[in-house]
Amino acid sequence: MLRWSSRSPRHWHEFVNHEVCVTAGDQQRFEGRVFTVDPVSASVVLVSVQENECPSVRVILGHAVTDVQILRRGTEETERQMKSVFLPDRAQDLSA
Amino acid sequence: SPRFLALCPTSVPSSSSSSSDEEEQRLRAELRERFLRTLLLMTGKRVRFDMHEHVRVHARFGASDIDVLNLQVSDLETPLGVQREALLRCQDVIACSFEV
Repeated sequence: MLRWSSRSPRHWHEFVNHEVCVTAGDQQRFEGRVFTVDPVSASVVLVSVQENECPSVRVILGHAVTDVQILRRGTEETERQMKSVFLPDRAQDLSA
Repeated sequence: SPRFLALCPTSVPSSSSSSSDEEEQRLRAELRERFLRTLLLMTGKRVRFDMHEHVRVHARFGASDIDVLNLQVSDLETPLGVQREALLRCQDVIACSFEV
């Protein structure tokens, strides 16, 4: 099986906006919604948005990722909510 | 370097057409832009770094090089005291997290 860091952008893109569980080195597990996977380092960016709490962001370095499992599929609403965390205050859209 | 490997794949799939190459490049650009926005958001924030052997350290994130091989941080809290400026090798880091 291909290592996570050797996968294609197409493969990584399939995880965007879905809630996943990432298993990393030392058997550490991280859960959250995928904002992106860096195509250079294969690092996974997860976002957790809890009610009444600040959104938290976690970057799992690509070299440490051993497995990624989808837990729950995202919706347009979760995608919009996630983008609002990263965009500057001034209304501006991601180019893609 | 990882960036060279990402941008210049050493093997070209024989069945690929130019339109699927373009599609792949579009996806790559979208993923990378989102990652760069993540780094922008992380800049200047207090970040927790999860290292090997369940070691956790805190520092203020400054920058990453383009290949994501090193992270520049300030006020790194180590068991031996606070290091004013430091570079963390990404190979030593498993994850980093911060609140927005």
